Amino acid sequence: MAAVLFFIAGIGAVAGAIGVISARNPFYSVLALVAHLISLAALFLLLRAEFVAAAQVIVYAGAVMVLYVFVVSYVGLRDEPWHTMGAPGGAALRGGAALFGGALAVELMIALLGTGLRAVDSRGAGYVPGFGSPGQIGDLLLTKFLFAFELASFLLLIAAVGAVVLARRRGEGEPEGAPEATSVIEALRLGSMAEAVGAPASTAATRLAELNEPDQGEGRGGGW
Amino acid sequence: MSVALAAARLHGPHIDWGGLSPILALLGGAVVVLLVGLAPRREVRRLVASGLALVAFAAALGCTIWQWDASKSIVSGALRVDDLALAVNLILVSAGAATVLLSWRARASGEAGHGEFYALVLTSTAGMSVLVAAQNTVSLFLGIELLSIPLYVLCATELHRSPSLESGLKYLVIGSVGSATLLYGLAMIYGATGSTDFDAIASAIASGGLASDPLLLTGIALVVVGLAFKSSVAPFHQWTPDVYEGAPTPITTFMAVATKAAALGIFLRFFDVALVSAQVSWAPALAALATISIVVGNVGALGQSSLKRLLAYSAVAQAGYLLAGVVVSTRAGARATVFYLAVYLLMNLAAFAVVVARERETGLGDDIAAVEGLGASRPWLAWPMTIAMLSLAGIPATAGFVGKLFLIQASADGGYTWLGVVIVVGSMVSLAYYLRVVAAMWMRPGPSLGATEAASPYPAIAGGSPEADPDAIGTSTPAAPPAGDGGPGAGAREGFQPEVVGLALAAGAATVFFGIVPSPLVDLARAAGNSLLGLF
Repeated sequence: MAAVLFFIAGIGAVAGAIGVISARNPFYSVLALVAHLISLAALFLLLRAEFVAAAQVIVYAGAVMVLYVFVVSYVGLRDEPWHTMGAPGGAALRGGAALFGGALAVELMIALLGTGLRAVDSRGAGYVPGFGSPGQIGDLLLTKFLFAFELASFLLLIAAVGAVVLARRRGEGEPEGAPEATSVIEALRLGSMAEAVGAPASTAATRLAELNEPDQGEGRGGGW
Repeated sequence: MSVALAAARLHGPHIDWGGLSPILALLGGAVVVLLVGLAPRREVRRLVASGLALVAFAAALGCTIWQWDASKSIVSGALRVDDLALAVNLILVSAGAATVLLSWRARASGEAGHGEFYALVLTSTAGMSVLVAAQNTVSLFLGIELLSIPLYVLCATELHRSPSLESGLKYLVIGSVGSATLLYGLAMIYGATGSTDFDAIASAIASGGLASDPLLLTGIALVVVGLAFKSSVAPFHQWTPDVYEGAPTPITTFMAVATKAAALGIFLRFFDVALVSAQVSWAPALAALATISIVVGNVGALGQSSLKRLLAYSAVAQAGYLLAGVVVSTRAGARATVFYLAVYLLMNLAAFAVVVARERETGLGDDIAAVEGLGASRPWLAWPMTIAMLSLAGIPATAGFVGKLFLIQASADGGYTWLGVVIVVGSMVSLAYYLRVVAAMWMRPGPSLGATEAASPYPAIAGGSPEADPDAIGTSTPAAPPAGDGGPGAGAREGFQPEVVGLALAAGAATVFFGIVPSPLVDLARAAGNSLLGLF
């Protein structure tokens, strides 16, 4: 039974992950990510980590995904073309990227499948009663990982501060009567990676959305 | 009842407040500085926030010196306070304090808000302190994130200048890839060894015969890549020139000096403590990375006309030199790396302080033309820059020479003589571009400042691209900002900036002093090297 569930959840997780990167509509990407995260939660359940599974569903598949959906709706639904960057020398770069990506994938397969297949007919680590319960996790957070716990809270604080700094976009050093920051940004071509390699300028709305991206990145990094 | 049970069962860890004090000073300072950002008057915010940031750095420095010679694990093994952590901490805190001085008149701190700006600098430094003391992969990763996230924001703090925003975005994207790679590698190492503590990882590798386990080796490889991203080791350096050029120059200084020290500190601790038994596996890979870094950095710097890009490529090359001390995995190697990190702080502070000063004086940005004729017009800026360039190239009678000597000696003693030869050849190549800066300062006539003054009321557009410059002028033409908070653009050109010039002179003098009398720094580095107990 556990083996059947494992393979169902495992296939779901892999398929969801592939869906995230291959869907051209961002909304489908988000939905695929939800499927991926729920499959991961099922895998956590099989590992007897009930609390982590519940947290995964509530926090990631629930709260964080709602945020993503909001952002996708806010930015607007557009089908992303496959190759947005017609960079000079793009073919060589793409070829190189495919080569290195493939090499990395092979290496990871050797490492993960190699060790995983060796252990496939063994029993795995023993189960200790109480493992994975909220009580035990709380215990660890307040004893062994107390410092990490406190540091993570500071990380969230400073990520929020950083997001406010970037989002406020109104400097103190600005002379009176100077144009609003947003209008300057629209006049400038905002320095994104796509522009750095010579992609055509996109509309003002998407450029502003690009500007907002670092904030969300901050939030994700902190939320880890 | 369950509450009572929980209270009865839980025994919190012993918290060594003394050992934590440098980090607490920085984090506490960050909170206080953040609150000062709420003060109603702009001048109060500027003066008090930067002043309190300096006080926090001074307190952290004092706490670090107070803890000197400690050797203890604190908060149930999360951190290890020993001379290696404390020595690197001295470098980090000095770099942070210097950043505050350089930011004193910068546009960036005004645009981001003074309280927030200095709080971000303090927090980033605290993350670095955590990183170099980390003794557990969880603390390691949190330290990396706590240092990176404020830096992503700090790079973009010149909010009205597109290269700065571009730099922040690039650093965010590439830094996140680096962090994710590192995390994946740490997860694999945990999977192979079953532990997150460095000591337990070391004993699992030594006793379990894991040194050739594919899972562990892949984990190590991913960790190397992640840390190489952070310390800008080639071929993971592509972000470095763009980010260094686009970021506000005081922040570039901070990134160049402090981030590198922190990344090399954790390189030393993680590889020489946790993974020391697998040294035969990772040492050749690190040596190859060091070689690539030295070649790419020195060749890449040859064609640069922007001083910040030149120093960025130079930083890539220097990262290669510094890695040599990690490769050999001996106490002599650790000593050489820590010594060179301290020297690297001094020479880069001198060079970047001059770049900051000239950016604000000339309006030529960080182009090499900004320092032309400096020898005749501003000898007190030309001398520190000259010393810094000669020291970075490794000319005798400067501290850079002594540092390279130790690194080459450590490589030769550790069985990597060829790496020592690569360092020598790399230094010879590097003379070509370092001397170009020196020649520009002493042998060319100065630029005609009158013309540029008329052209640009906002002179401090560091590395401003031609397309960005007209926009920047557009934003500032309506009214010249009043003197004071407006930073370098404020009214009259900053003729004399005592804190920047003083910093350049002090760092330059220290570079020469430690080149002639290196023993104080050698003692510091020896204590740091000896605190790695598992090495010889």
